[in-house]
Amino acid sequence: MFGNKNKTPLPVRNKEELPHVKEGLTLKEWRSNHKNKHKWRTRRWAVLIGMNLLFFLSFFFDLSILEGSLSGSRLLGFYLMDPFNTAQELAISFLTGHWPLLTMNYIIGILTIIIFYALMGGRSFCSWICPYHFLAEWSEKLHNYLVKKKKIKEHTFNISLRWVFWVGFVLLAIFTKELVFENLNPVGILSRAIIYGPGLILLWILILIIFEIVYSKRFWCRYVCPIGATYSMIGHVTPVTIRFDLDKCAHCLDCQQVCLVPHELWFVKKGAATDVTHTTGSDCTRCGLCVDVCPGDALKFTIKGLDKIT
Amino acid sequence: MDKNDHNLNRRQFLKSGAIAIGALAAVGAGVGYLQKVTAESRINQKFLRPPGALDETTFIYGCIKCGLCVQICPIQAIKLGGIKDGLAYGTPYIDVREQACDFSCDSMQCVETCPTAVLYFKQFKDEGEKAIAEYDKTHRNDPDYNPFPVQITAMKAIVKMGMAEVKPDICLAYAGKGFKGTPRGTDFKGVNRSPYTGEAKATPVADKIYNEEICNLCVKECPIGDTAIVMESSGGMLVPKVLSGCTGCGVCVMVCPTEEPSIIIEPIKA
Repeated sequence: MFGNKNKTPLPVRNKEELPHVKEGLTLKEWRSNHKNKHKWRTRRWAVLIGMNLLFFLSFFFDLSILEGSLSGSRLLGFYLMDPFNTAQELAISFLTGHWPLLTMNYIIGILTIIIFYALMGGRSFCSWICPYHFLAEWSEKLHNYLVKKKKIKEHTFNISLRWVFWVGFVLLAIFTKELVFENLNPVGILSRAIIYGPGLILLWILILIIFEIVYSKRFWCRYVCPIGATYSMIGHVTPVTIRFDLDKCAHCLDCQQVCLVPHELWFVKKGAATDVTHTTGSDCTRCGLCVDVCPGDALKFTIKGLDKIT
Repeated sequence: MDKNDHNLNRRQFLKSGAIAIGALAAVGAGVGYLQKVTAESRINQKFLRPPGALDETTFIYGCIKCGLCVQICPIQAIKLGGIKDGLAYGTPYIDVREQACDFSCDSMQCVETCPTAVLYFKQFKDEGEKAIAEYDKTHRNDPDYNPFPVQITAMKAIVKMGMAEVKPDICLAYAGKGFKGTPRGTDFKGVNRSPYTGEAKATPVADKIYNEEICNLCVKECPIGDTAIVMESSGGMLVPKVLSGCTGCGVCVMVCPTEEPSIIIEPIKA
């Protein structure tokens, strides 16, 4: 998973080689010269809101473009299935013998999702589609503000915890013969609330959001959410990724400040990079926040293979 | 990463892992407990599942709560349950008193759209194909060859959401009374395609005006016809009688004019 990490880091560069020194600026000037236009954030929010709005409008005005919810849907007649839901469903179905009944549409749906996210990479579902992510992104801002004001303390856990939850939820599904996780799943709950109208279960979302604000940053997304973990498995080998150029980096660490999964940007620290270029791994949500913020354009979206041609 | 760091990381993982397993166990125990206390009410659930639903135990795990059946229903008969329905949260049901399934879609699309086949379409497909094959034998060379009515009739006939039950103590027909006017008031939102008018689509129940000497709305509006419910004389009176062909679609419950419906649907037991 962290193949490059175990290599020996490249030696720390001389001061003259840093990009701001080359331009004859101090690091502070160099950073303030960069105006963050939030290009990728605007695009991403437009996609996220647009997709969820499309779900809502498809039902509300009977448009039949994107029907269903994020647990399972139909885009212009083509089925799309949630991968973790499918994992649980298959696990139970194989044990109870229900699996031969599963429809061809179901299989098409899950294969489409796997292929699409294998191409788009990592947890791109999270930051580009997931409605819970949108709430969590705002609560993360609030959380960071409160930490900065020293109103609350930051609590972190080990990110491998989500594999414990992943296995745990599958086992729970098998033992109880229920999609237990679906009853707790903020993605499905929010998606259904947007499409079919709110219900009492939104209290659960409120509890999660409050917990994330006052106790642990992005608790659900980072340490629990098995859907995100599944996407992280699917998007391991992927063409779409963020490319890092050591030459253009001044180690200002602005990108790690805004990154939603900072451990994916481990190579930006001074003396950490093991190669002159790096690409982000499967936990990266391809949100583009680092691309927007980077003063030296050291971080960029890239499509592996294609970048060598142009 | 030096060795100390590594050990610290491992300890932290083990500690939070233990908490996670504890949390999962708690969730599991909670679900197990809920399953136990709701086992009976689940099997005797008071709400109807959409047509073609498999048994309740399978339904609970098979339904991924996507709501495709809700969206495709042209008369919005299917709704999703809230948390008050226990672990059935997010699963589809039909409240027949508010909006019954009147089969006016003529295609069982809610069943066909279900990706996990907990609304099981194959049985309807097979039945429909059988009926078409039968029809083909005699009507192949007809100038107005049209197998679709035969197909949908055959498909409808094997739906079994429940069985209607008449309550003689409040039924108007049992009291020898007739009915005049609109059964559910003018602001009732439900729609229904009346089988005797030949209308192509479902129209609001509120627009329908009846004038019956002996109330027979349930029989008149039944989309299945005389294999499901008939008026029968019993003790010198004409009263509705439910037959084995009843699919439990609930149109009779929706149009019943009494304050509390004098006909109800008993869901099939899992």
